[in-house]
Amino acid sequence: MSRLIMFHARECPHCKAMMPLVDRLEKEEKLVFERLEVWHDEKNADLMRSYRPDIAPKCGGQLRTPTFFNPGTKDVLCGEVPYEKLREWALQQRSS
Amino acid sequence: MRKKFWRCFICNDIHYGLKPPEICPTCLAKNAYVEISSKEAETISRRSETTMDRGAFRRAIEKFCEKNEFQVCPDESKVQTLFDGIFANEENHGLKYCPCRLVTKDFEEDLKLVCPCNFIAHETYQGKPDGECWCGLFIRRRK
Repeated sequence: MSRLIMFHARECPHCKAMMPLVDRLEKEEKLVFERLEVWHDEKNADLMRSYRPDIAPKCGGQLRTPTFFNPGTKDVLCGEVPYEKLREWALQQRSS
Repeated sequence: MRKKFWRCFICNDIHYGLKPPEICPTCLAKNAYVEISSKEAETISRRSETTMDRGAFRRAIEKFCEKNEFQVCPDESKVQTLFDGIFANEENHGLKYCPCRLVTKDFEEDLKLVCPCNFIAHETYQGKPDGECWCGLFIRRRK
């Protein structure tokens, strides 16, 4: 199973909105997202920055939150998205 | 090209830019600006040191929106969450960085993340009738 990361920020409303969707997805599809907060944890921030060449081109040229990331495939899903889109992305990671 | 500091020799207005304004916006004197050092600019600016709490920041961005095609998001709880992040970032990282993006540690690059950012050029706003900045603090004004 691929490692899946959700980079999020404590005061980001989009991240807050996505949290229940991530909870639901984890429960329904038996997936686990590593949830890494990036504004109050410098280690997590540095990790996200280390993936900047993979993430930024798919997120408007910047490091934005929330970002869903597969470090194995470098696949990225960026922003507040509907549940089905998140699910589709996550299931693709499982099969990759 | 690097921006420099300029001082109006009549009224001591400070300008930061590639070149000085031809007319001083404060005293309206023409060709009145002379280049100064950043240290001089800091010393002069310190005389009118101001703080900006949440209320003052709110008033500043409302004023900023007045003559523009966008407005502050009407969802007050969202605005308060964003303000929490903006002020935490100023406290912890020095500037009012967008709470929905992360600084790169390249200062020039990170200036693009200071709120309000140049969101009208972003794909989340440009050409979209319901456009908004990435974090959602500013939205296109509803007709």
